[in-house]
Amino acid sequence: MQHNNTIGLPSGFRDILYDEAAARRKIESTFAGVFDGNGYHEIVPSGVEFLDVYARGNQSVKDLTFKFLDRDDNLLSLRADFTPAIARIVAAGALGDTMPHRLWYAGSVYRKADLHRGRFHEFRQIGAELIGKGSKEGDVEILTTALACLEAGGMHDVQLHINHAGIFRGLIGSLGLAGDGLKNIKTEIDHKDMRRVAARLERQGVDLKVREQLEVVCRCVGGREALVATSGVIHNDETREAIDTLLQISDALSKWSDRVIFDLTEIDEMEYYTGIMFAFFSPRLSSELGSGGRYDTLLQEYGRALPAVGFSFAVDGLAELL
Amino acid sequence: MNGKLLIALPKGRVYDAALALLGRASIIIDATAQFSRALIFEDTAERYQFVALKPVDIPVYVESGVIDAGIVGSDILREADSDVNEPLDLQIGKCRLAVAGPDAKTVSYHQNIRVATKYPRTASKFFQGRNAHVHIVRLEGSVEIAPLLGLADVIVDLVETGRTLRENGMSIIEEVAGVSSKLIVNRTAMKMKAAAVNRLITDLDKVVYANS
Repeated sequence: MQHNNTIGLPSGFRDILYDEAAARRKIESTFAGVFDGNGYHEIVPSGVEFLDVYARGNQSVKDLTFKFLDRDDNLLSLRADFTPAIARIVAAGALGDTMPHRLWYAGSVYRKADLHRGRFHEFRQIGAELIGKGSKEGDVEILTTALACLEAGGMHDVQLHINHAGIFRGLIGSLGLAGDGLKNIKTEIDHKDMRRVAARLERQGVDLKVREQLEVVCRCVGGREALVATSGVIHNDETREAIDTLLQISDALSKWSDRVIFDLTEIDEMEYYTGIMFAFFSPRLSSELGSGGRYDTLLQEYGRALPAVGFSFAVDGLAELL
Repeated sequence: MNGKLLIALPKGRVYDAALALLGRASIIIDATAQFSRALIFEDTAERYQFVALKPVDIPVYVESGVIDAGIVGSDILREADSDVNEPLDLQIGKCRLAVAGPDAKTVSYHQNIRVATKYPRTASKFFQGRNAHVHIVRLEGSVEIAPLLGLADVIVDLVETGRTLRENGMSIIEEVAGVSSKLIVNRTAMKMKAAAVNRLITDLDKVVYANS
């Protein structure tokens, strides 16, 4: 029965009731157990930041933030992402100098979404960051932690797609493009329009050898054998080194080989990531479940140069898999 | 998410050309399937499922993932600004998106001109690139009438043969973009249904670029 004088919610927001709330709780407590067992500590960053926190580094979130002024007319933002907040906290020295920091968090982020596409402004994330450990061991540790979370949650059909920022950075860097030329080739690679990529490279008179390498990379999806095959035709040093890193990660994750896929076709147009980058998918869901990567240059934007790698999951996506 | 790929076909201008292209790739949709009242129909070999939609809705469906792939004009795709893969230009439904205005009038972009269009986002971006301060009037149809009635100074619209423009005493001032239809694919489907998606791309690529 509806009462008089009821009040609704602003569009783009929703309440989480009973079953959905229970599903969230279940996922978060399961993951919390895994984080705890792996030596990760929970932090709860502030719900509000100076807008400037989202303006540093190659972040794309700033334009989507909910902004407001405080009494001193400082421009503030609702929390739109956890990683910048964690970068701020670590750089300020609040967690001390003993490295690495192993951190996890769960909470809502707020971004202005296109409501006409059925999206919400508020969504809940759970994730972890490993800060101060720059090695492949760090990459493997964070990936293993994420996989252990999914395992503990009984989400056995989730696939981990791994890539490395150095793969395109090396090859595209060797093209000597700048400005619109660089932007356009990245967009075309992102669209996966191989004919258009090839036509552009040909128009710009790119060395045939580089073109062939790019085309192989743009088709490389598969297990260890796909990496080995691609590695065989790559001459670019940076790209080769990136594939070597992935091969070592493949060895370290051999226990999970049935759900790990190396997908070199994705390009990070914003150049936010510096090393591995990855995403999680389930055959039961039509959107990404979570993502992450290594961002070794972000923390210096907050005043302290430290390597870092992390991931976050969309809690409501995970809840749909229960 | 399992089973056959679900593909959106654009109702209207490009529909017949899209069916013909699929047919050349041996993906045959016969009249029984097409004109039955069924919302979702299959090709004769029952490899794919199809649904015919209004073109502007196709990027929305494909981005969300409820439909795996679609055929849609690059004009609509740019305007929708959707996050989808665009693996193949199908070279059908070719025309131009152009700025057009009344023949007699010379229009300078640097006045506060009013632009009538079905493509407000694309038009805004284009005039920003020209450093022109314009006012966009969003219309849904018969855009070419707007200058005649005094609602706008110029239009940004699709031009195929130019006949509609001539009949309304207008001509092209400048081309904004070439238009052709593209195959678009949901980003997750591209990964989780890779085998089926790649087969579709390969089959279409063969017939579209048979001569090159």
